[in-house]
Amino acid sequence: MLAASSVEIRKVNKYYAKFQALKDVDLSIPPGKVTCLIGPSGSGKSTLLRCINFLEEYDSGEVLIDGSLIGYDTPGGRRMSGRKLRDMRRSIGMVFQQFNLWPHMTALQNVAEGLIRVRGMKKAEAEARAAEALKKVGLADKMANHPSRLSGGQQQRVAIARAIAMEPRLMLFDEPTSALDPELVGEVLNVMKALASEGITMVVVTHEMGFAAHVADQVAFMEKGELVGVDAPSGILHHPEDPRIQAFLKTYHERNSF
Amino acid sequence: MEWSILQQYGPMLLRGFGLTILCWLLGTVLGMVLGLVIALVQRYAPRPVGWLVQAYIEVIRGTPFLVQLFVLYYGGPLVGLRLDALPAGILGLTIYGSPYFAEIFRSGFRAVPNGQIEAARAIGMAEPTIVRRILLPLGLVSALPALVNFSIILTKETVILSIITVPELMYQTQRMSTETFRYLEANLVLALFFWALVETISRFGRRLEKRITGYLIERT
Repeated sequence: MLAASSVEIRKVNKYYAKFQALKDVDLSIPPGKVTCLIGPSGSGKSTLLRCINFLEEYDSGEVLIDGSLIGYDTPGGRRMSGRKLRDMRRSIGMVFQQFNLWPHMTALQNVAEGLIRVRGMKKAEAEARAAEALKKVGLADKMANHPSRLSGGQQQRVAIARAIAMEPRLMLFDEPTSALDPELVGEVLNVMKALASEGITMVVVTHEMGFAAHVADQVAFMEKGELVGVDAPSGILHHPEDPRIQAFLKTYHERNSF
Repeated sequence: MEWSILQQYGPMLLRGFGLTILCWLLGTVLGMVLGLVIALVQRYAPRPVGWLVQAYIEVIRGTPFLVQLFVLYYGGPLVGLRLDALPAGILGLTIYGSPYFAEIFRSGFRAVPNGQIEAARAIGMAEPTIVRRILLPLGLVSALPALVNFSIILTKETVILSIITVPELMYQTQRMSTETFRYLEANLVLALFFWALVETISRFGRRLEKRITGYLIERT
């Protein structure tokens, strides 16, 4: 069992100029559980996810990781120092839609980089740890490849290895399978499932309703910057009460039936 | 045409060519370094500093090299900057090239996908480390063709140094012309030297490009 973080999101607001991307969002993410964020495009799910490690700066409200505020010294106060922010980010892994591997490094170097530059490990030690992480995601034989020599699914698994090698207590996934060819989605979801069973806290923005239904402990539905509902997967996906969730699932089912 | 005078003037022209290469090399390398510093300042420094740097870029890009050189060499002593012709010429080239190099680096940095920078921030990497490990290597790869191109342009700007009496190739060519009235021969030799220099640089640039971008190119 890995140590797992909790996340508390309280009354978070985010504006892009006049456009309000997040409206008074409240969400409680319990430690060791998988939370899926679903909803239509532009509903603010990715923005909310990115507020959790402060890649996106929220304008008001609070985001607490294990009870400590991220991004600001005090609620509504000054930006926290770069050093403090970096310290908090060290225990938060993130996986992006576009993988965002560093193309000038091999798979092994991609994973070892953070261990060397952030954790201050010796190169040999870091590479041993990186190799282990890559083995875990089933890429032991691809360690020497540059990202351009890997498939999308393999690249995303390297990205997951890069995050978990840092031993995070919380993992954020921003539409991790949306950029993948359909036949490559499964390999990434399997790695995520395995990770979920290890008891790490996971927050996943996804359009994979199957993953949400079978792996998530709770599902949050967002629309137009608002958090419409949070419930167990069956509550949101099978017996939604809110008409907005019903409408979203209806279009989803229509699109995926043939 | 009368090529036999090359026996007399050849060594002088060669020495001039050597000096041309020296001026170009130092001016280009120092100009790149200054340009890189400017590009990084523009990216990371607070607004007022950025404006100052932008003003510098506008002024240098907006005035002819010859004028800059005159101001530096003949105007310099008025403010206590007394330089010999050669260092003045190299400094002039450095200053003249720096804003162009800065713009090339800026566009190289912009070509680095923001997501790759965010990925580094997300694992807690410090900004100077991100610059060193991610932004610079990737930005330089994107900037390389334009860097080589502008370096080639700079080779030909060196002839202007003859006007402040740097005895480089143009200076020697002119001397040979006025002493022998063999303008055509002298200038043909100059053209040949420059062509050889430019060809060498561009070949070197292409080789370098191939080597360092090989693994970045999608191979399917």
